[in-house]
This record gives sequence, structure tokens and C-alpha cells, in this order.
Amino acid sequence: MSAGIRVPFHGEVLAQAAIMALAVLLALSVLGLTTGFFGSPTALGGPALSAPAHSYPLGTDQLGRSLLPRILAGIRVTILLSSFAVMTAAMIGSLLGMLAAYLGGIVDEIVARMADLMFSFPAILLAVLISAILKPGTPSAISAIIIVTLPVMIRIVRAATLTVAEQDFVIQAQIAGARLGRILTLHLLPNVAGAIVVQAAYSISFGMIIESGISFLGLGVQPPGASLGSLLHDGRLYLSVAPWLVFAPGFVLAITILSVNLVGDGLRRTIDPMLE
Amino acid sequence: MTPALAVQDLAIEFQSRRGQVRAIDGATLSAVPGEVLGIVGESGSGKSTLGMAIGRLLASGAHHVYGDIRIDGRSIFALDEAGLRALRADELGYVFQDPIGTLDPTRRIGLQIKAALGGMATRAGIASVLKDVGLADADRVARSYPHELSGGMAQRVCIGMAVARRPKVVIADEPTAALDASIKNQILDLLVTRCHAAGAVLILLSHDLHAIRKYSDRVAVMYAGRLVETGRTEAVFARPAHPYTVMLLRSAIGRAPLGGRVEPIRGAPPVLTKRCQACAFAPRCGWSEQACTSVRPEVRCVADRDVICHRAESVIAGGATP
Repeated sequence: MSAGIRVPFHGEVLAQAAIMALAVLLALSVLGLTTGFFGSPTALGGPALSAPAHSYPLGTDQLGRSLLPRILAGIRVTILLSSFAVMTAAMIGSLLGMLAAYLGGIVDEIVARMADLMFSFPAILLAVLISAILKPGTPSAISAIIIVTLPVMIRIVRAATLTVAEQDFVIQAQIAGARLGRILTLHLLPNVAGAIVVQAAYSISFGMIIESGISFLGLGVQPPGASLGSLLHDGRLYLSVAPWLVFAPGFVLAITILSVNLVGDGLRRTIDPMLE
Repeated sequence: MTPALAVQDLAIEFQSRRGQVRAIDGATLSAVPGEVLGIVGESGSGKSTLGMAIGRLLASGAHHVYGDIRIDGRSIFALDEAGLRALRADELGYVFQDPIGTLDPTRRIGLQIKAALGGMATRAGIASVLKDVGLADADRVARSYPHELSGGMAQRVCIGMAVARRPKVVIADEPTAALDASIKNQILDLLVTRCHAAGAVLILLSHDLHAIRKYSDRVAVMYAGRLVETGRTEAVFARPAHPYTVMLLRSAIGRAPLGGRVEPIRGAPPVLTKRCQACAFAPRCGWSEQACTSVRPEVRCVADRDVICHRAESVIAGGATP
């Protein structure tokens, strides 16, 4: 463990490339938002369904909106929405998972059965159900991602905590008179943080798939907003006349999800080499 | 003198998936401040369970059937949550087998000592804990993470943490089993010295008969959840009064001549599921007679020690050896 600056993901070329790709996508997206350099995502007025050309680099949709700024806005929405939902799920899941594993007994039973119950529904189906019960829109997309990623997070954190909690340093903390909150935050959390971070990375990519899925079904992000999934939804009707409306957001979505997954793999190998 | 630690007819059971197991079956023991009490016995005899029970640190499947544990006259089973935390923090210290595992891998040593001291320690206070356990480079050690220490250094840190608040009772469960043989004696010397300085009882749980003989004032022999013989170390080692002690001493490495064979104790210790209604050692014992298999022996004082055996007099007289 030498001190000094270390390159993140040392030796993980794919993960480094994936981080670069995500950084470029996000930078372009933020640049588009702040400078308007690539045009407005909602401005009408261009020719409808125009093929990619100099003034509309990725073409236009049926309302004459330029596709490039819409995709850039969609990247931002898709990534932020999924990240926000997964962070919420990670917080709830970590707390429940650690409590279940550390306290055991009835608490463990309740939490584990609850996770099993949530886990027993197919993820996409559950997400559609939630979006249908709530009003279609961003909040229902977020709740769907939280509910779908939560049981996996609970299980991972619970399993990691079980191995940590039986170690003598937890008993040592009890002997020093530590309360439950102190043991949870100072001793258990730092020791399972690696597992949480790795799982969160995978959950973000899964969350993006869910978000795109339900937006594609018209239950997620609503017009005039754009996410990569809702762009696919809007473009599907014009697949034969304006294929770029589906291919461009689809390609960007694939790249984004692949990159997040590769970062997750890199994180896993870096944080817990024993898993290999 | 009030005993610092008194265990009275304690019984502990574990509820496992395969049924109920009685790990402690009526253990009785007491220790006065400043003494070193060694507890020996083979694996599964209940040493560690007894050690953990003293701090009510057993896993949630364990259940206290009857009996009492008193520390400085107060029953630990009568305490509420806050009282229990105070008892653990102020009056108990533990030293475990694996020192690296006893330290949290994500926290610096200094912070962990600070927590053991009660959270309001100064830099100087932390340094003095480290100096007292022979770690001269206190600042560097305090800044280290556990993986940066050797096993011996880590065990010194653990000893420092165990005695930091001058506890009444220190429980050391195989404190040298994970350490290099060459530093075992240093660590035990340190442990005994620090406990003396703190005025604490040291309960030394070990398989190592040589270490027990060298360091403990009194020795208690544990078998099947009971303390079958308790007395002054020299007396017990010289003239054991319980057949199990006799056979345990015969099986010690180093007793047989070079190239000779040590004598194992035949058979395996029983796994009790309920209160044992006879002598638990009878099936493996060469002295056993009718009463041993039908009457539960109670604690008797024979030749200045407490022993649980119907035939203690014959055993100590050396008669009728198998």
C-alpha cells in the first residue's frame, strides 16, 4: 500500500476506457445544456424527419426538433435518474441489509422475506406495474428502479455483513461499549462499502435498462422531456422512413450501459480481487 | 475479599438447527482480584463459551438456562442494555486468538484505542497505552492500519486496549495460538504484567499446559461444560485429583521422553443436549465405578481443591490407576 497518487483502476484498461466514454458523454451533455451549442432539445421549426445533415447532425424528428440535443438531454436524464434511484436504493438497502445480518432473528426473517417477495416478481413486469399504478412520469420511473434494485442490494449487503459481523473486531466494539448506531456506521459500513459500491454500479446500468424499458412503453419520462428510452418510443413509428430516430439513441444507450457495466467489472476486480 | 468474578452453577444452551446443545452444564468458579486463573480443556469443552458468557457476548442462539455470573458482586444477567454496555466498557477486557481480526481493518490503530479508552482520549493517552505494551514507536503505530502491523505487535495493541480502562476481569482466549512460537512467552509475560498493573483478574483460556503452568496462580480444568477440578496450579499439576486432569497431563507434549509416545485420551468428549445426570467423563475414565454412571457428582473439596469426582480420593492417592 504505497502512498502517493495512483491511477484509478490500475491495469483495468477496459474500465478506464469506459470511464472516458462516460465522461465524454456526460461532458457533451452538460455542454449542450449550458451553452446550447448543439441547439435546443425542444425548439420546433426545422424540417420534419430530415436525414442527418450539416445543420442537424443526427437528423430531426417528426416535429422538426434536432435529434442531437435531444439525445444529449436524454443521456443526462437517463444517467441522473438511474443514479438517483440507485443511490436511494443503496441507502435503504444498506441499512436494512446490515440490520438484518447484524441483529439476526426476527428482524432478519422479516427483511429477508420482504426481499424474497420483491425479488420474486420479474423486474420489468414489476416496473410496468408500478408505473401503471402511479401516474406515468419520472417519479414512477424512479420508484420502479428503486423497488427493482432494492432486493438485490439488501441481499448483497446482508451477505457481506454476515461475514464481517462474525469477526472479533465487532465483538471488540461491543466490549468497548459501542451502541448499535456506532457499530453500524463505524465498523460494519466501512467494511461492506466495497460490496455496496460494486453492486451500485451494476444497479445503475440495470436501472438505465429499466428506465429505458418503461419510457419506451410510454410509462416513464413524458414529452416534451427526453430520455434515451422515450426517444426510442418516439422514433419507433418512423423506423422505415427515419431509422436514425431509433438507431442514434439506441446506439448511445448501448454504449452508456456497456460503459457502466465495464466500470462495475473494474470496480469489482479492484475492490475485491478474491471474488475472481 | 469479594471475588472479582464469581460463576455459580451456570448452564448455557445453544439452539441450533440440529437441536439443542448444552455447552455449559453447571460451571462454578471464582477468582479474586490480581490472580491469574488458567482454564484448560480440550476443544469443545466450553472454555470459549464460558469466556464469552462472562460479557454476555454469546450469539443470539445461546440461552441462559440457570445459574449466575457476578462481576464485583453484581449479577450480569440483571443488567439492562445501558448497564451492560457500561459493564463491558469499564469492567471487562478481552484478548482473542487472532489479533489482526480483533482490530477493524478500516480504522487506524489510534482511533481504535481511543474507542477502547472511552472516546475522550488525548494523543498522549493513546501513546501511553502503546508505550505500556512495549510499542516504543507509539506515533507511528497509532497512525497505522491493522494490516501494517505484525501479529505480535497487533496482539500488544489488543492487550493495551483490553487493560486500557483498568478492568476488573480480563479474559484471554488462546491469546498466543495464532502467534509465532518465539514470541509466545513475551506476549504472555506482557499480558500477565499488564493485568497485575491494572489489578485485574486474568482468565487465561488455553490448550497450552506449559503456559498455564508457568503463568497461572490457579488452574481450572474444564470438561463437558463443567469445571471438574480447580486448585493451586502446583498442587493440581503435582497431584491431580480428577481422572481427566490425570489423563490430560499425561497427554501433554514434552512429557514423554524424546522419541517416546504421548498418551492420548481415548474416545471423544460428549455433546450434551441436556443436564448430564451422571459423570460426563465416566465413559472414558479408568476409575469409573457404578456410581459414576448413575449419580451426577457435585463439587467437593478434596485436598485443598474443588473437584467434581466420586473417586477423587483414590485418584489423588494414586491408587487403582488404570
